[in-house]
Parts: sequence; structure tokens; C-alpha cells
Amino acid sequence: MDVVTVDRIQFAFTVMFHYLFPIGTLGLGPFIAWYVYRANSGDRESDSIARFLTKIFAINFAAGVVTGIPMEFQFGTNWSVFSARSGSVVGQPLALEGMYAFFLESVFLGILIYGKNRVSPRWYTASAFCVWIGSWISGFFIVATNAWMQHPVGYHVATGGQIELDSIAAVLFSPFAWWQFAHVIVSAALAGGFIVAGVGSYYLLAGREESIGRRFVRAGALVAFIASALVIFPTGDRNGHDVTIYQPIKLAAMEGLFETKRGAPLAIIGMPDVNTHTLIDPVFVPRFLSFLAYGNFDANVDGLTNYATVLWPPVELTYYAYHVMVGLGTIFLGISALAVLLLWRKRLDTTRAMLWALMLLMPFPYIAIESGWVTSEVGRQPWIIYGLMRTSEGVSANVPTGEVLFTLIGFAGMYFVLGVTFLYLTLRTIGLGPSHE
Amino acid sequence: MSDVAFVILAFMIAVYILLDGYDLGVGALAPFIARNEDDRAAAMHAIGPYYSGNEVWLIAAGGISFALFPLAYASAFSGFYLPFMVVLWMLMFRGIAMEVREHFPSPLWHTFWDAAFSLSSGILILLFGVTIGNLVRGLPLHASGFFFGTFAFLLNPYALVVGIFAVAALVQHGATFLSMVAEDELAARARGAILWLWYVVLALYVVVTLWTLAIRPIVATRPWLALVALLSIAAFVGLRLRLQSNARAIPFVCSTIFLASLFVAAAATLYPYLLPEYGNATGGLTIYAASASPSAMSWGIGAALVGLVLVGTYSALAFRRLNTPV
Repeated sequence: MDVVTVDRIQFAFTVMFHYLFPIGTLGLGPFIAWYVYRANSGDRESDSIARFLTKIFAINFAAGVVTGIPMEFQFGTNWSVFSARSGSVVGQPLALEGMYAFFLESVFLGILIYGKNRVSPRWYTASAFCVWIGSWISGFFIVATNAWMQHPVGYHVATGGQIELDSIAAVLFSPFAWWQFAHVIVSAALAGGFIVAGVGSYYLLAGREESIGRRFVRAGALVAFIASALVIFPTGDRNGHDVTIYQPIKLAAMEGLFETKRGAPLAIIGMPDVNTHTLIDPVFVPRFLSFLAYGNFDANVDGLTNYATVLWPPVELTYYAYHVMVGLGTIFLGISALAVLLLWRKRLDTTRAMLWALMLLMPFPYIAIESGWVTSEVGRQPWIIYGLMRTSEGVSANVPTGEVLFTLIGFAGMYFVLGVTFLYLTLRTIGLGPSHE
Repeated sequence: MSDVAFVILAFMIAVYILLDGYDLGVGALAPFIARNEDDRAAAMHAIGPYYSGNEVWLIAAGGISFALFPLAYASAFSGFYLPFMVVLWMLMFRGIAMEVREHFPSPLWHTFWDAAFSLSSGILILLFGVTIGNLVRGLPLHASGFFFGTFAFLLNPYALVVGIFAVAALVQHGATFLSMVAEDELAARARGAILWLWYVVLALYVVVTLWTLAIRPIVATRPWLALVALLSIAAFVGLRLRLQSNARAIPFVCSTIFLASLFVAAAATLYPYLLPEYGNATGGLTIYAASASPSAMSWGIGAALVGLVLVGTYSALAFRRLNTPV
């Protein structure tokens, strides 16, 4: 393996592992704010719920911090040429994240955990909202950083090859970034909804915490349904349009479309074969890809063979990741719609099949979101900054391959311990239950 | 503009050292002054609410260095590749140890996690100290501004002595923190530790100062540094003299001033270099060469200053409301 491959695997592994924990904090933040607010108006049960969710949030936050620090420093350790050339732009949103979001989240989380009897109820409620807002702002700056690498704006390239900032407003208010952020946030809300509904289902099926379990299932299912719809439309749709316009090769890889077609079909199932440029055993919806991409059933969609193969991303990985994401997204919408229907018929907490489904569904939003990450990041290869800088040009040339391989294995070991610990703590907290608070 | 950015970055690193310094110090100190499980738990509870927030300063300083001095950020972090990876793993290990100790019922597990916490805290301080030592001593920079730090180069006697000095000084810092917030008996033992630690710090302080003057005589051309040195000595002596004072915050304040003035001295020794070249008194990566593009600098500095004021304001408000003795 060459150093670029090992660097890429290490970055992908560490960022995908890290991403698991912000999903929890972004998704649970609004729930905590809501229950703290309810508790403030005298509802004692909401108080237990808020403490319980805060505990789970805190475990996610701590794991997010310790896995997040390596992300910020890996730009320097493993991608030093990229950092040196683009830091004037890429460094800005990252610095803003630290200054404007991370402090907010951590200071007020401290109050949320340790301050219940030390600060006034108003301060306490405000803290819960600050933690929520802080986590979402934090998410925005990280997505804005990524979005700039996907679709660079507001810069110029100096004579020495340095990428220099022209307009921070262009970077921060790029529509590409905002639609990407919206998609990321509603997908986290979806995960949060399914986590809450899943935990509630577990309590109801186990015959304990019944009152809180019912509240969890109802609130979770409602949030999951709304978020599942928003994930697909408008946010998923808008991201699809941005990919169509700015990253047509990624679109072709996502859809497994090798030949350019007028009235291109949408592949529901199939296996892309890069050698023969075909999709093996496909199931198509005729002309639907043209409609999704351009709003016109007869539109022309560029295939991969329109471009030199050196510009192709790893096609299979992009294709499968995208199909896993979309397939799961569809399932989420179906099940949560059914759950909301049952909720409306007042039968949700007694329909055991649905409770089982909601409980077993818990890991899948994580899988869908990670697949989304792979689609977005593998699909934009070979670029580290789209159209500007190749991934292979960005690595630290002064760090030997073996050294990176060593740290990759080190991270694998460290994250195994962290993952086991995280699961142990989370399951223990859920096992003890909200009444324990 | 680069000068302002240098001051901002130095300030943020200093705040990180002072804040995370006390919880790292308490971590490394705990096994030496705790007689039993309860003492260790008390020491961990004293820093539990703060350590994670303190680490945010490291992340924020990292972000600022990326945004304002991208070349130095890229060069330093890739050059110190392995030591920084060990730092990351130790931060992680320490976080795990802190978060899980409460959740294991057996005292044997508590002992294990406390030992893990203390060991990783000690290694972190040592590595931070060795890093500062190497920055002052200089790095084997290539013309491109990059380098690759080998063990043989980075673990040189000077950097190791600075590392050990850092351990002693931050453990003392942690002890002053404990003596301020812990209940009577643990606080008394923390003060007892300072009684002998103080001499260790003193001896290392003298050695490091003289050695630094020998390899970086640039200090002699900045006479105002003598004032900083005087301040550090005054704070250091004050720490010892007022150790048994009824105002329990005084030793901690003295230790804070002592460490801050040492850091100012180290930063002044570096200036105008971020990464000086080894064996060449006038070579290296200056803050001007490492700076981001002008518009990025002016935006980044403004955003950082406003951000610092905001963070300072709400942190102060929040912690004043939380401020009751553990």
C-alpha cells in the first residue's frame, strides 16, 4: 500500500468512528431542551427524562471530544501539504467551530450535568438550549469546512499555489454548505427520534418504565417521521441537485450509470462492474434518474464513460453506499409513517410488532448516515478539494508509510476499547432507566 | 498582524496549559497523596466537572493555529507525528478512565482506572514539556519548512529536562488546585506534597533557565524578560510563603502567575519564530512566513478576539454560578 491509501484509510476510519457520537449529541440536543423546559413547568417525570437523556448525551459528548481531537490534528499530521496550502480558507470554519460552538456546548453541558441544584431554573433551561444550539452550530462549521472542499467558493489561488481567502461570507453562506448542513442535521434528528423511540420500545416490551416508555415511543416516532420526510425532501433532493450540477461524475458513480443516456433509468438494484462498464442484474425504474436529476424525464444524464477513468471515484463503493443510504431512508419513512398512523389511532404503545421494529431499527440510522458519508467523500475522489487539488497531492510527504500504518493500527486498538466502553456505559445507563435518576 | 495573531495563539495555549495543567497535575499527583479509594475519588471529583471543558482550549488553539499559521500547523504536526499520536491516544485513554471509573462497582476496577488516569496524565505533561523544549531548542527544518522528528532528535537531554520540569511544575500546580478546592485532610496532604515538590521545581527551574540562556542567548537581548523572570520568582516564593494562608486560593493564584510568566518567557524566546531551526540562531519558520493570506488573517484575528471575549464572559458567568466547594 502506498502512503496515500493508508492516510485515506486512517482518515476515513477515524472520522467515521468519530461521526457516531455527534449523531447522538445532534439528535438528542433538542429532546433534552424540550424535557428540561417541560420539567421547569413542574412536570417531575420530565425532570427524570431530562437527566436520563443528559447522561446519554454526556457519554456521547465525551466520546465525541476524544475522537474529535484527532480529527482536527490529523489535518496537520497526515495531510500537511493540504493544510499548508489551504489553511487560510479551511482553517477558518474549523477555528470558528472551536471559538463559537464548542465552548458553548462544553460550558453549558457542565451546568446541565453538575448545576441542577446550583443554578436557577431559568439558567438551567437556558443552559439546555445553549447545549443544543452549540452542538448544531458546531455541526454547521464542520459541514461548512467539508462543503468548501466539495465545492470551493470565495478563494483565489496565489502564484505560489497557496489557496487564499477572498470572502468568508461566500464560504459560510454557500448554498451548497447550507443544504448539506440541513441534510446532516435532519438525518441526526432522525437518528435521535429513532433512538428515543427505540429505547421507549425496549422499556415497554420489557414491561418497565411504562409511563416514560410510552412518552419516548410517541415523541420519538413523531420526530423520526418528520425527520425521515425532511431527509428525503427537500434536503436529500437539493443535495442531489448540487451533485448533479457540480459533481456529475459522482452522480454517475452513485447511480452506476456508465453510458451517457437521454431519459436515464434509475437503478434500484444491481451490481456495477467497472471492467465491462455494465450494471449486472439491474432492476430499473425507466427514465426516473433523468427526472430526479433534472426534473425532466427526457433529460440527458452524463455517464462515467464521458470522463477519463483517472477522474472516476471508486465506483462500487460509491454506488453501494448510496444505495444503502437511500434504501434505508425509504424504510425509515415507511416504518415511521406506520408508527405515526398507529399513534393517531392510539394503538402505538400496544402494537408489539411495531415496538419490536422500532427497537431493532436503532442501529440503522447510524448505518444510513455513515453510508451517506461514504457516498459524499468516496464519491468526490480523486479530489481533496474538488477540481483544485488531488487527494494524493495533499498528504504529509515527510511521514513514512509504515509510520501511518502503525498509527492506523493503534487507532483501531484504541477505538476498539473506546467502542466497548461506550456501549457498556450506554447500555448500563439505559438498563438503569430514567426512574433511577 | 502576524504579531497580533502570535499573541492570540500564545494566549490560548497559555490558557490551555494553566487550565488543563491543573487537572493533568491532579491526575499525576493523585496516587502519591491519596491514602485510599475515597481520597482518589475526591481528587477525581475535584476535576471531573472541568477537565473536558479545559481540553476545549486545546481544540480551539489547534483551530486558531490552523487558520492563522497554516504552514506552522502543517509542519509542526506532521514533524512531531508519532509523539502527537501518543498525545492523542493518551488524551483518549485519560478521557475513558475518567468517564468510566464511576460505572464499575468493584474497587479493584477503580484502582485500575485511577492508575490509568494518572499514568496518561503524567505522560501527557511530559510530552507537552518535551515539545516546548524542542521548540525552544530548534528543529531540523528543511528548506520547504517541513521536517521529520526522530526519537533520537526529539528526546534530547535539554527537551527531556524541560519535560521533567513541566511534570514537576504542573504537579505542583495541581496540588495548589487541590489544596484550594478539596476538603481539609486531602487539602492538607496536597500542601504537604508542595513542601517537598517546591524544592524539586526550584532545582529544575534553575537548571532549565541557565540551560536555555546557554542555547538561546537571544533572551539576553530582550531585557524586559528580566522583569518576567522576577515576576515568576516572586510568584514562586509567594506560593511557598503563603502556603498555609487562610485564603486557600493564594497558592493556586501564585502557581498560575508562575506558570504564565514561564510561558511568556518561552514564547518571547521563540519570537519571531514559530519553529526555529536547530543550530542556526537566525533560521527557521517565522510568524510572517507561516501566516495565512492577509484577508484570512484580518478575518481570523477579528473572529478570534470577539470569540475570546464572548467565551470569557459566559464562562465566567457560568462558573461563578457553579462555584461551590466540592
